Amino acid sequence: METISKEYLLTQPSSFIAEVTHRCPLHCLYCSNPIELKRSEGELATEDWVRVFKQGAELGMLHLHLTGGEPLARPDLAQLIAAGRGAGLYVNMITSGIGLTEKRLAELVDAGLEHLQLSFQDVEEASANHIAGTRAHAHKLTLIPVIRKFPIALTLNLVVHRQNIDRLERFIEMAEEFAPERLEIAHVQYYGWALKNRGLLMPTQEQVERSVAIVEAAKARNQARNHGGIKIESVFPDYFGSYPKACVGGWGRQMMLIDPIGQAMPCHAAAVIPGMSFDNVREHSLSWIWKESAAFNRFRGDAWMSETCKSCPRKERDFGGCRCQAFQLTGDAEAIDPVCVLSPDHGMLAQLRSATEESLPMWRG
Amino acid sequence: MQIDSIPRLTVGCRLHPTEDLLLVPEGALQLGGPAKDILAMVDGKRTVAMIADALLAQYDGAERQEVLEDVVALLERMQQRGAIRS
Ligand SMILES: C[S@@+](CC[C@H](N)C(=O)[O-])C[C@H]1O[C@@H](n2cnc3c(N)ncnc32)[C@H](O)[C@@H]1O
Ligand code: SF4
Ligand code: SF4
Repeated sequence: METISKEYLLTQPSSFIAEVTHRCPLHCLYCSNPIELKRSEGELATEDWVRVFKQGAELGMLHLHLTGGEPLARPDLAQLIAAGRGAGLYVNMITSGIGLTEKRLAELVDAGLEHLQLSFQDVEEASANHIAGTRAHAHKLTLIPVIRKFPIALTLNLVVHRQNIDRLERFIEMAEEFAPERLEIAHVQYYGWALKNRGLLMPTQEQVERSVAIVEAAKARNQARNHGGIKIESVFPDYFGSYPKACVGGWGRQMMLIDPIGQAMPCHAAAVIPGMSFDNVREHSLSWIWKESAAFNRFRGDAWMSETCKSCPRKERDFGGCRCQAFQLTGDAEAIDPVCVLSPDHGMLAQLRSATEESLPMWRG
Repeated sequence: MQIDSIPRLTVGCRLHPTEDLLLVPEGALQLGGPAKDILAMVDGKRTVAMIADALLAQYDGAERQEVLEDVVALLERMQQRGAIRS
C-alpha cells in the first residue's frame, strides 16, 4: 500500500458549526445532542468565540452555523453574529424560534445574520408539542411572517420519523405556502437522544418508500416553478440504504464543530467513540487543531480502514461511512459502516428496522 | 431572462469579499471568468443590457451580441440554482 503524506490528506475546512450552548427550552425526542449535556457554567465566553471565529475565517472556513441547544438562550448572540460577520463568515442560525421576537430578530439581522433555519416537529400541533416535550408549535407559526419582514434567507427544517412521517405531505404543503428559500426534510439520524428513542422513531419500510416518493414529487414541482421555487434538500434515512453516506463530508475533511465548552470535534457524535479526546479552543488554535490534533487525524485517509474499504473505489466518495454509527452498532469504530452491503454486520439493520416496538418516550433533558 | 429584465440576487446570497465565490445559504458557487464581475453588477437596478454594456466597456474587442448571450447564460444558470431572481 502506498503511504499517503499528511499534507495530501489535509483539505481546507469550510463549515464551522458553533454549538454555543446546550441549554434549550425544548426537549425533542429526536435531539442529536449528547446525553450528557454541557452545563452553562462551563460555556465559552463571548471573547473566546470572537477569537475562534476569526481563526476559522483565517483557516478558510466560509459558513458559520450558530446552533446548540438553542442559540437564542445566549444573551450575547448579537455580538457573536457580529463577530462572525466581522471575521468574513457567512452567518446562519439554526433555531427552534423559542425566545425570538421581532425586536430580537431586528438586532440579530442588524448584527449581520444572513440565514435562519427554523425547525419544526410536525404539521399537527398536538403531535408537534408532544415530540418537542413542550408547547412550541403555535409560536413557530406566528414567527414565519415576522421573519419574512427581514432581508434574510429562511430554511424550514423537519426531522422525519415514525411519529410524524404519515403527515409529511401535509407538512410540505404547509411549508410551500410560506415559500421559504429552502426546505430541509431530514430523516432522523440515530445519535444522542434519538438513539435512546430509536424504537419509537424507526419508520417502517413502507413509510420510508412513501416518504421518498413524496419528497421527490415536491422537488420536481418546485424545480418546475421558475419563480419562487423552493430548494428542497433531503436526507435519506439511516439503516435503509445499501451504501453509507459520506458522513460530515468525510472525517476531518470539511467541517469542524466546537461544542459549548470549547471542545473541537470532527462530528457532533464523535464523543461516543471510546478513547477519543478533544482538544479545546481555550488551549489551542483552530489551525493547530485542524492539522495536528489526534481527534481530527484519527480517521483521515484510509490507513485505519478494513481491507474491504481500502480496496473499494467508493471510499473516495463515502470516506468509509460514519465512524460513530459503526461503533454504536458493532462496538468497533474501525468496522465497515453496517449500512454498507459489504459489511458482515449489514444483516443487523433488517432487525433494527423491524424493531418498531412502542417503547416509552425519553425526552431530552 | 430578457435583455430588459432586472436580475437581483436572491436574499441570503452574496459575493465573497475576496474569493471568486458566491456564498449561498448552505454552500458556495465557484465563479470562473467574468462571472464575479457580472454578479457584482447585479444590484436590482441594472437591466441585463446595462450589465452587458458595462462589461463590454471593460473587455475591448468583444462582440456585444456575444457578451449579451454570455451574461444571459450565466444569469439563467444562477437562476436555476436559486441564486438569482428576476
Ligand atoms: C440540534 S438542533 C439545535 C438548534 C435548534 N435547537 C433547533 O432544533 O433547530 C440542530 C438541527 O439539527 C436537527 N436535528 C436534531 N436532532 C436530529 C437528529 N437526530 N437527526 C437529524 N437532525 C436532527 C434539528 O432539527 C435542527 O435543525
Ligand atoms: S433539536 Fe429540539 S431539543 Fe434539541 S436542541 Fe433543537 S430544539 Fe432543543
Ligand atoms: S466497502 Fe467501505 S468504502 Fe466501499 S462502499 Fe462499503 S463502506 Fe464504502
